[in-house]
Amino acid sequence: MSMDVQKKNMNYDALVIGAGIAGGEAALNLANTGYKVLLVDKELSVGGKMIMLSKVFPTLDCAACITTPKVSEISRHPNITVFIGSEVGRINKLSENEFTAQVTRKPRYVHVEDCTACQLCEKACPVNVRDQYQFGLIGRKAAFIPFSICSPKAAAIDIDNCTLCGACERACPTNCIDFTMEPETLELHVKTIVIATGFNLFDPMNMPRYGYGQYKNVITALQMERELAPTRPFNTILRPGDGKVPDRLAYVLCVGSRDASVGNPICSQICCMYSIKQAQLLMGALPMADVTIYYINIRSFGKGFEEFYQQAKGMGVNFVKGKIGKISEKENGNLMLRYEDINEGKLKETEHDLVILSTGVLPNAGIDRLFENEKLSLDSFSFIGQSDMLASPAKTSIEGVFVAGTATGPMDIPDSILSAGAASSEAISYLIQHA
Amino acid sequence: MKDTETDIQDNTNPGSPLGARGEIEKGKTAKYLREKLGGISEQAKENLKEFNRIKKLMLDALGEEDLTVKQLTERLNMPSDEVVYYLMSLVKYGFVKTGDIDDMDEYYTYKLNK
Repeated sequence: MSMDVQKKNMNYDALVIGAGIAGGEAALNLANTGYKVLLVDKELSVGGKMIMLSKVFPTLDCAACITTPKVSEISRHPNITVFIGSEVGRINKLSENEFTAQVTRKPRYVHVEDCTACQLCEKACPVNVRDQYQFGLIGRKAAFIPFSICSPKAAAIDIDNCTLCGACERACPTNCIDFTMEPETLELHVKTIVIATGFNLFDPMNMPRYGYGQYKNVITALQMERELAPTRPFNTILRPGDGKVPDRLAYVLCVGSRDASVGNPICSQICCMYSIKQAQLLMGALPMADVTIYYINIRSFGKGFEEFYQQAKGMGVNFVKGKIGKISEKENGNLMLRYEDINEGKLKETEHDLVILSTGVLPNAGIDRLFENEKLSLDSFSFIGQSDMLASPAKTSIEGVFVAGTATGPMDIPDSILSAGAASSEAISYLIQHA
Repeated sequence: MKDTETDIQDNTNPGSPLGARGEIEKGKTAKYLREKLGGISEQAKENLKEFNRIKKLMLDALGEEDLTVKQLTERLNMPSDEVVYYLMSLVKYGFVKTGDIDDMDEYYTYKLNK
């Protein structure tokens, strides 16, 4: 699509890249201290991955109940400008406290300030495509509100799948849909940068022996997270392969982590606990179901984690120490799991009707390539390198650029928020020193 | 690609020629983009046709009687995972609603939302 690109100059004290829980926390800390912050995220909502979760471990608090007040505070803060649906391009350090960064804002085709989220455009849109915010389990329209608690709560147009029929425009009572919008490139001047680009999850298609993508009743833990959430895609927990209510569920841990054969030898730190959390939620949602967790080691190292693990055992979750070698599918859609029972030293096969793959945490690659005249160092696993990991864990190899949350490596939500606190403190200190 | 330099402090929406140029009528901008792009992609057209075809088949079948995913799969001769995907989308859009579960507590029936 050929579009004109406008270039505008803007000045901020801090640029925070990534509006997940870590980026949001860092932005709030900076803004509350009086600094002017630009918060940029490529997604259509603030909140990152956390806003998509059902509950959090080990307290089983509602994730949305924690995230939405924070997201609302970010969106309304007078010192924070939020650019969602935007990507940061090349970054240059000009002097001690002066960086330039290009940000490209992709058109949403909706004037957010005029949209009332009435959903009449959604209703009018004739298109159906897989909903990325429900991880493909269900459809959405091309004119759509990303998800019910998104921020800003406004429609967006998926231009790649839109048929440009104009039905959404005709249905819109505020005339906020505007197909004349074009991409816009902004040239920013900032004094400091906080990188909070989060993590990616391992793509289980890279482990064909587990059958993800081929066997429809093999899903990822994030897909199960959506099935368990109040804003779930189905009326209850169902197998996506045939709509059956499952009653023999299996979790396979360490899919794409602690596995050098797929290039990720490190522990993802969160998979054991999010799987145990989901198992407990499933015991509540499907009281008659059997839930088995196949693990190598349960790593319950955090505050309250071991008690949470013991609680799951007490609820009847079955823990089997065994590495799954292969998953095969039966004619009825059930799945045969072949594994080594490590405690008994025997090869075994067990049948389940839904398999959930607890996929590992990978770095969100590419941010280092944006820095043109400075080198942003990465660690040996391609997470952002911490120049002084013990004394100043938020410092990177570039003075004035700080890192927060899982951009540095796998960690849980409380640790991400702590890390964001450290990054924002370092950034504030840098701004004061270089005022 | 055309570059224009402007100094601003803030801006909450990407640029738009709407109003500024004055020639595009508000509420009819889809036509503007369709003409600018010279039509829409074949994939978007095919996707819409396929959805409408499956939607009609499903609603016609459910118009005759309430059905489970398994029964719809047999009636429509479609893969069962695709039936789940399209059926659940129709539930979301309000065309279909969930009925009772069977005696084995395994499969729900689905019915038209009249």
